[in-house]
Amino acid sequence: MRRLFRWSSKWWPGIIPLVIFWAIAAWTSTEPLEADLAQRSAAALKDTILDKRRITVAGRDVTLAADAFSEEGRQNAVASVEAVPGVRLVDDETRLVPEAKPFVWSAERDVLRVTLSGSSPLPAIKGRLMDAARAGLGGVEVVDRMNLSRGAPPRFDNAALLLLDQVGKLKDGKITLSDTKVSLSGMARELGGREAIAAALKNLPEGFSVAANEVKAPPYIFQAYKDPVAVTLTLTGNVPDGNAHAALVAAAGRKFFSEKVVDNLKESIGAPSGFAAAVVPALGALSRLSTGTLVVSDREVKLSGDALYEAAAGQIRAGLGKDFPQAWQFKPEISVKPAAAPVDATVCQQLFTELLGKARIRFETGKADIVADSTGLLDRLIETALRCPTANIEISGHTDTDGEEAANQALSERRAQAVADYLVSAGLPADRFTAVGYGSSQPIAGNDTDQGKAQNRRIDFVVK
Amino acid sequence: MAYLTAFYWGWLVASVLLGFAMGWISVVQHGEGVSRKLWWWLSVLVAALVGAALARVVPGRFGYWLDLGLVMFALYLCGCAVGSWLRDWVVSRSAPPA
Repeated sequence: MRRLFRWSSKWWPGIIPLVIFWAIAAWTSTEPLEADLAQRSAAALKDTILDKRRITVAGRDVTLAADAFSEEGRQNAVASVEAVPGVRLVDDETRLVPEAKPFVWSAERDVLRVTLSGSSPLPAIKGRLMDAARAGLGGVEVVDRMNLSRGAPPRFDNAALLLLDQVGKLKDGKITLSDTKVSLSGMARELGGREAIAAALKNLPEGFSVAANEVKAPPYIFQAYKDPVAVTLTLTGNVPDGNAHAALVAAAGRKFFSEKVVDNLKESIGAPSGFAAAVVPALGALSRLSTGTLVVSDREVKLSGDALYEAAAGQIRAGLGKDFPQAWQFKPEISVKPAAAPVDATVCQQLFTELLGKARIRFETGKADIVADSTGLLDRLIETALRCPTANIEISGHTDTDGEEAANQALSERRAQAVADYLVSAGLPADRFTAVGYGSSQPIAGNDTDQGKAQNRRIDFVVK
Repeated sequence: MAYLTAFYWGWLVASVLLGFAMGWISVVQHGEGVSRKLWWWLSVLVAALVGAALARVVPGRFGYWLDLGLVMFALYLCGCAVGSWLRDWVVSRSAPPA
């Protein structure tokens, strides 16, 4: 030992090359060592769920900065890095992901994109939500504005995925999940979409509930356009079902005696209540116009166009809204067609005959009450009568041979008088019209068939 | 330690060999060694550095370099001791009996 001590006093010259070795070793090994430790630390954290992870190595000391999703996960992460061979110290700069209270997540859809925002519990769930949004919304841009937070309710991911499905049914709007409460607003993409969303919300995971569902259905549109040039009535938009569809088309056929009805209607659910009760009289009003458009949007009826004469315009403006079911609105934009040029009595007679050849003035069975479907025809007769202001006109009523002759005579007189009264109420002078009943004495067809009888039940206009 | 040894074993071997050579020479060298007083001071310095390394008070890269230096120095000393002892053994065998 003593000798070793004596020898050691002479070992110092080797220190000089040793220091050189040390310097070279330090110079060449530091960065590779740090890179290796960083890689091993990252590998050790591979299975640990962290956000914003940052590993920096100085010498053998590792600084770990990360947001963890639980205290246990945070401690495990630090322990994993400490256990990496070669690591001397771990500078723990980890923290817990902030807790969101309430935990709010939302998906908002506008024309161009879907934006997911608010809080998401884990990166994996966030990724799943983004994937589901991209897959389910087919081609729409999906923007991720979600933060990671703690405090999500159990089964959050299931609820959020179900809600993402509903975003696809919206044209625009927002679905918000605040803790376990779901709020929805916006406009459904299609008729029935609102109902489909409400049905789907019943499948929300246990514990979740709907706080507010203010999804609006798109307006229920029905349109009718009377084209005087093409002589057509074009029906477009929606009708509630097959029965209503058939009834509307039949009503249009009765009211528009000279126009061809073009039926482009589509049967869709979601019609406002009283749809048929409002649309049928509105079609009647449209039939009185020379040209016009009827737009029914939910419970709002807009009728625009030209009435044939001033009194008709007034009647339509004032009268149509009264026929509507409650809560329906009528917005008339009726102008009056410029008066046609006067014609002489012969032309007038031709025009009357032409009109009455296309359709007949119809009455309730056995009564002298003019049915509403005939107002369009009457307006045209009045317009024609206005064109020959000097002509006197005999309004003659005729019946078929059914029933007693006296009763038929009386009925034909009353019906002729009803028509004359209608004309007078439209502003024509009463002294121009004579109402005459002929009973069944002047048939124009055989009374042995129903068709012939129908032809015999008529009102004729004879210019005197 | 195993990791570090594996990582720069070349430099450690070099330190041992350097120490062995220095120890080999030191037995027959006639020059003056360091004084006893300086020897003690150097021992204290090394002990302080070892203390600092064990306590891990030197941070980051400096801490690593300190560890590296001390490990190399320790192996150098081991090499010296082995070298000196072997040389002494060889010399005592070949020397004529007194």
